[in-house]
Amino acid sequence: MTSPAMKKSRAFSPWPAAVFICLVVLALLFLAPTFGVLLAAMKSTGDIAAGQLWSIPTTLFLDNFREVLANPSVKIYFLNTFLVAVPGTFGSILMGILAGYVFAKLPFRGSNLLFLAIVSGMFFPPQIILIPLFRIFNALGILDTLWPLIIVHIAMGIPICTLLMRNFFATVPNALREAAILEGANEWQVLTRIAIPVSLPALAVLATLQFTWIWNDFLWPLIFTQSDEKRTIMLGLVNLNGQYSVAWGVQGALALMASLPTLIIFLFFQRFFIRGMTMGAVKG
Amino acid sequence: MSAPLFRAVTMARRLDTGIMERQNTIWRILLLAIPLAVFSIFIVWPLLNSFYYSFTNWNGFNAEYDFVGLKNFSKVLTTRLFTNAAINTLIWMVAAIVLPSLAGLGLALLLDSKIRGANVFKSIFYLPICLSAIVVGQIWVWIFQPDWGLLNMAISAISGEPFTYAWLAKPGSAIYAVIVAWSWQQTGLSMVIFLAGLTGIPQDLTEVAEIEGATRWQRTWHVVLPLLRPATVVVIALSVINSLKGFDILYIMTGGGPFNSSDTLAMYMYNESFKKYRMGYGSAISVILFLITLTIIFIYFRQLKKVDEIYD
Repeated sequence: MTSPAMKKSRAFSPWPAAVFICLVVLALLFLAPTFGVLLAAMKSTGDIAAGQLWSIPTTLFLDNFREVLANPSVKIYFLNTFLVAVPGTFGSILMGILAGYVFAKLPFRGSNLLFLAIVSGMFFPPQIILIPLFRIFNALGILDTLWPLIIVHIAMGIPICTLLMRNFFATVPNALREAAILEGANEWQVLTRIAIPVSLPALAVLATLQFTWIWNDFLWPLIFTQSDEKRTIMLGLVNLNGQYSVAWGVQGALALMASLPTLIIFLFFQRFFIRGMTMGAVKG
Repeated sequence: MSAPLFRAVTMARRLDTGIMERQNTIWRILLLAIPLAVFSIFIVWPLLNSFYYSFTNWNGFNAEYDFVGLKNFSKVLTTRLFTNAAINTLIWMVAAIVLPSLAGLGLALLLDSKIRGANVFKSIFYLPICLSAIVVGQIWVWIFQPDWGLLNMAISAISGEPFTYAWLAKPGSAIYAVIVAWSWQQTGLSMVIFLAGLTGIPQDLTEVAEIEGATRWQRTWHVVLPLLRPATVVVIALSVINSLKGFDILYIMTGGGPFNSSDTLAMYMYNESFKKYRMGYGSAISVILFLITLTIIFIYFRQLKKVDEIYD
């Protein structure tokens, strides 16, 4: 028996245990879909068709992965996606640094309105600029190359990158900048030697977010590329799923491999990722 | 001139606000030039062009096209397919507000009670957000698969009779099946935002309520939930905005079918423009989509302002 004098919170309560069990059940339900892909990837097509997809495999069956790795298209898709995601990530962050610095440290009349206009860009569905962009890239003669993808990802990344960089630069004390200016530094030196070095966490946040989004993108390559040699991984995934139409195990292995880079980023940089998502969402 | 004096003079010059201001202007232009140019050329200019094309009958290939005035808009707004897509987008919006937001709120409240392994749980619920919509769609196509999908197998096991309903191939269920898949991915996002909101609530408040004798339920309902209003505004706005973007996952799961039963505005715009090559008509849809989004953003910013006023 607990004495009434004892603090109420110290008394036994079934609540934490109930919450814990509840969470475990929910977590298992939540993991089931992802787990299913893992299971499928380790099953032969025959097993899956026989209704064996959701059983735990007894032997390590890796033929599906071999099949995927032997497919030359898969290598091209991966390479293309890296060739888009890396410059796209760097480019958009660079834009965000430049614009964010001005909005944080060199505000001018109307700069808040301009900032708001740029940031609101992240709320609009990409469909509203699809047709004119198609026409522009067609006129430039770069349709069915990786260039439109890189350009569009840099441009579409400007709103979120500007938002996060401005918010981060705003936390750098003004006195620091003024002291450096009085010492004879120019704005560029303040940016590269003071503002950027203290903003490494913000850069990590943006790098994880941008890379993941660009890697997972589907719409832009769908519109701007046609030939198999220019496809990125998500478009390639859809294409190969058509090829391996009933080879569900191969499809599972493909989906897993296509998600691997973003899964790795998520596992190692989860904190940055979550922070970016909430910062972007809450401040937007 | 001696060195210290020279230094003093340059310092005084730098302090001269006139010179400073002129220099600042130069730096503003230098730093903003490239980002603003990229943003204007590849976002703003195309947006204006969408308006322009929406008054034409351009087909995507020919150099020539004619101005047709408001014909595209009058056609769009009277087509059954557009109304269908608009209603589906609305269904999607409502479902998006209800499903992932409520689920995210529930999870956040459960996780906030200092439970053991909270971080592991958070990661699990958050994991789907790093998967692409294409992969998420593929996973759920398997779950809804009529013969060996997880859902039908579970129903068969519970009812004892074989159950083979084709969720994604029936007009009555296709869009809801896609929404379930989408909610599974989005729940983690709203959970994280609600968690951020919960950490902002001072613990004293709930403790005072506890001492006053409020039950756990009363504390949640009367103290915590009202204080979560800012987070709720953000989550709802995000859900609405993201529902207007619903495309990838639809493309992979149903393609808008069967019989356009799961078409959304974004999907409809894509099909008209890039499948039927009616770019003028597609532009009119995108203009309507733009105006809807603009209205929502406007309401959202006003709500945020109101929230700020209440809590400041």
